[in-house]
Amino acid sequence: MVIDPELAAFLAGPVMTIVGSRDGRNRAEIGRGVGTRVITAGVVEVVVSGWQWPATLANLRANGAAAITFANPADYVCYQIKGQAALRPAEAADLALSAGYIAAMTAALAALGVEQALSAQWLTNRGPVVVRTAVESVFIQTPGPRAGTAMPAEPPA
Amino acid sequence: MIGIRLANLTACFEGVIPSVLSTVAADGTPNISYLSHVVMADEAHVALSNQFFSKTKANLQANPRATLLLVDGRDGRQFRLALTFARTLLEGPLFEKIGGLLAASSAQVGLAGVMRLRSVDLFRVEAVAACPVPVATRPGAPAPVPDLPAIAAAVEAIADARELTAVVDATLTALQEACGFDHAVFLLGPDETGRLATVGSRGYDRSGVGSEIVLGEGLIGMAAARRHPVKVSDMSRIRRYGAAARASGEEEEDRLRIIALPGLADAMSQLAMPLVVHGEVQGVLFVESRRRLAFGPEAEAALAVVARQAAAAVLLAGTLVAETPAQAAQEGDGQPSPPPADAVAPRTFRVVHHAFDDSLFIDGAYVIKGVAGRLLMHMLEASLRDGCTDFTNRALRLSRSLRLPDFKDNLETRLLLLQRRLDERALPVRLLRPGQGRIRLVLEGVPVLETTGS
Repeated sequence: MVIDPELAAFLAGPVMTIVGSRDGRNRAEIGRGVGTRVITAGVVEVVVSGWQWPATLANLRANGAAAITFANPADYVCYQIKGQAALRPAEAADLALSAGYIAAMTAALAALGVEQALSAQWLTNRGPVVVRTAVESVFIQTPGPRAGTAMPAEPPA
Repeated sequence: MIGIRLANLTACFEGVIPSVLSTVAADGTPNISYLSHVVMADEAHVALSNQFFSKTKANLQANPRATLLLVDGRDGRQFRLALTFARTLLEGPLFEKIGGLLAASSAQVGLAGVMRLRSVDLFRVEAVAACPVPVATRPGAPAPVPDLPAIAAAVEAIADARELTAVVDATLTALQEACGFDHAVFLLGPDETGRLATVGSRGYDRSGVGSEIVLGEGLIGMAAARRHPVKVSDMSRIRRYGAAARASGEEEEDRLRIIALPGLADAMSQLAMPLVVHGEVQGVLFVESRRRLAFGPEAEAALAVVARQAAAAVLLAGTLVAETPAQAAQEGDGQPSPPPADAVAPRTFRVVHHAFDDSLFIDGAYVIKGVAGRLLMHMLEASLRDGCTDFTNRALRLSRSLRLPDFKDNLETRLLLLQRRLDERALPVRLLRPGQGRIRLVLEGVPVLETTGS
């Protein structure tokens, strides 16, 4: 799956990030991501707080099935990626990435009227773990008629 | 089974911070998406809006277990709910309620029609768990408890009001003093052109009397069209309705012949409650606040009580006038009034009537347009022709030149609008209501009438 530069810039920007996974009995789980980088065209790394979302990380460690949705709260532009995830411990660069994201996201939400006292509840990187996902598909989820449609696996020739 | 009761999560159901739903396909692939509206159906069920995500739907058919993340709009706390899909609703009160919420919020963000509600999905709640809290939450102010004795007294005052003008004032007093709403607007209608008109307001710099809203437009028009309350609890991300029109003052009024709605430029919460009696809409009560989440279930219930009583009182005021024509007519219809004792070289004022929209200007100041404009012109002409300054509803209704709509002419509403506009702009002609079904023209000078085609 190829992620074009425009989408890569969107994923790495100040966009709200939610992580879907499932347990051994196919029960869905929810977590939040706090900082994203696109490594190569098909690999996305997202920092997740192991302290706040232990069930999400346990699921991903056990079976790797991941769905991650990125949404810009200012204009509702929204994409979901799906793929196979592996976990690795966060390093200094990941912490820096996450700190930068939290600062930018906090400011973006504040500009929309969401006070920091609220957003601080969602934007924590305590106990950081990196979820590294090999992206298999990308879906447009911006509200509208194209919501839910898959992006082409390869850019048009 | 449920550790935290759904009833304690009311601030999660206000649609301030989007909720998240995750489902899993038969092959184990998860799916995760934002949801615009989640409503508590009862102590053990939640209802979710299904707008576009066919993947979620397909997953639930194969695997009914889902997880929902709710966020408290006051302090940001998060709650995970384990759900089991119960059934899909395509109609009924819950469908109507969520449809109304969705229509309101999508119209406000300029997505009217895009976010059409396909269905409402009902889920059984298996468990509720609070997510770990990274920073201490500020203790929120407790929800205000409605003052029931005060509301009872206020509702009694509305019920005792016989005339429309008294109903409007008693209702606004109830909203401000008994319910504690700082900013309130009373609109009547819709009329035969599908417009609601402001007849009074409290808590604004300008009253906005005479301003209009088209049925179906904005929160107010939508509440009237749907006959359901429509609420927005966090306007921070929302394009505020009529923001541009609101900036205008009297100069703009005179230029555009449009009166701006009263409104707070920085409102965070708004609630529009239709006045419904016997299934028919008589108008809308609108309240707003600079606080987020200002109107919880208690405030909404208090407004509903006042609105019901006001609706009945509006209908009754119209009926009372219609049923007392004979007595009113006896009081002298078209009878010349005695000339004023101090009729020495009275001042004159200029009244310009634009025939194309029946808009009326007095000494350059815009008064009103439409039927109310024709009404005032008719009475002024009669006063010049016959010296007549006393009129009755009945005679006005019978006058052919007024071209009142046959059905539901809303004459009382139009007279009330006219009376309040003349008072508000401090014009040399005023209306008095000496008794039910009677109107007296009070002139401070001699009108010079002029009708133009444009």
